[in-house]
Amino acid sequence: MDNSIGKLVLTLTVIGIISAVGLTFVYEWTTPYIEKHAVKAREGAIREVIPEAERYEEVTKNGNTFYEGYNSGQRVGVALIAKGSGYQGIIEVMVGADPENGKINGIKILSHEETPGLGANITTDDYKSNFVDKPFGEYEVIKRETSEPYQVEAIAGATISSEKVTDIVENAVDTIEAAYGGGM
Amino acid sequence: MKQLIADFKNGLWQENPIIKLVIGMCPTLAVTNTAINGLAMGLATSFVLISSEIVISLIKKLIPNNVRIPSYILIIASFVTFTDYFMKAFVPDIASSLSLFIPLIVVNCLILGRQEAFASKNPVHRSIADAVGMGLGFTWVLVALSIVRELLGMGSVFGIQLLGSWYQPMIIMILPAGAFISLGILIGIMNVISSREG
Repeated sequence: MDNSIGKLVLTLTVIGIISAVGLTFVYEWTTPYIEKHAVKAREGAIREVIPEAERYEEVTKNGNTFYEGYNSGQRVGVALIAKGSGYQGIIEVMVGADPENGKINGIKILSHEETPGLGANITTDDYKSNFVDKPFGEYEVIKRETSEPYQVEAIAGATISSEKVTDIVENAVDTIEAAYGGGM
Repeated sequence: MKQLIADFKNGLWQENPIIKLVIGMCPTLAVTNTAINGLAMGLATSFVLISSEIVISLIKKLIPNNVRIPSYILIIASFVTFTDYFMKAFVPDIASSLSLFIPLIVVNCLILGRQEAFASKNPVHRSIADAVGMGLGFTWVLVALSIVRELLGMGSVFGIQLLGSWYQPMIIMILPAGAFISLGILIGIMNVISSREG
């Protein structure tokens, strides 16, 4: 077998070109499906955090993208995708809020890399209910049952994940407040 | 034909990649926390292994020896990228739970190892038999391991709750430590069986 530099370069180039051409077709073929899933996931999340919304609009304010939910011409809530670091990797949360009444409607975890069985429980309704119909403000993560509105019940064995999500939600609420005035 | 069956059976038991050769440990330890993840990872790896063994076995005479490893990696990476797109498009839930472990199949030493040890030296039909055997061998161990871990760690198998609320899940089984413990015990059991056999 000829091992001249020319032959080596040629071999790798040919394989590279064939792979690239093949993958271009695969990319063209799968991208519409992938985008459809992403849009569907986002739409589902918006409907979950602004349940009263009939339709929503994408609005950019202060460099952030907000989703405003409307019901019969009336704005009923604002949703925002907030990101932050979790216990492992980035957590992405859709936060729905009602800035007129200064309350959080609810949250939905879009993506995370937390430990299955522990931190991954941030996606359960049990944990998410900590942020349903709650006032804007600073939250405290506690390890027992909550008795006050500004408390978040930590997931057993996953206090860090619980705190990280709480931070992300607090930041998102600040962003929404800054853009929409917020509070009475 | 006998040769083909022997090539196929080789990966299932005698040279099983996980329990005998102990290669491909990264996905083995990382994604076997639920049965569905273990199965999906096994099938995705098998697909990449089979396709790349076919291609490499076909073009092995055209690849100069000095660049064979980069050539193999290019071919493997192409199939892995294909798998990644395909899973994101058609099984998005599984794709998101396996996340970065799909692209990491590129560096699974099981795949490159089989190209070096088998596909680059043997004809296509034997390479297919070897790849299918190795792929299934890899998949069955992943599934066995993930069923044990999911059952003990969450009380369910394939997402179906089998153990009632009386069962206190052993959280450690779905954490990395549980992977080492259960894999060690599994390999131990397999070694006892092999030594009895002969």
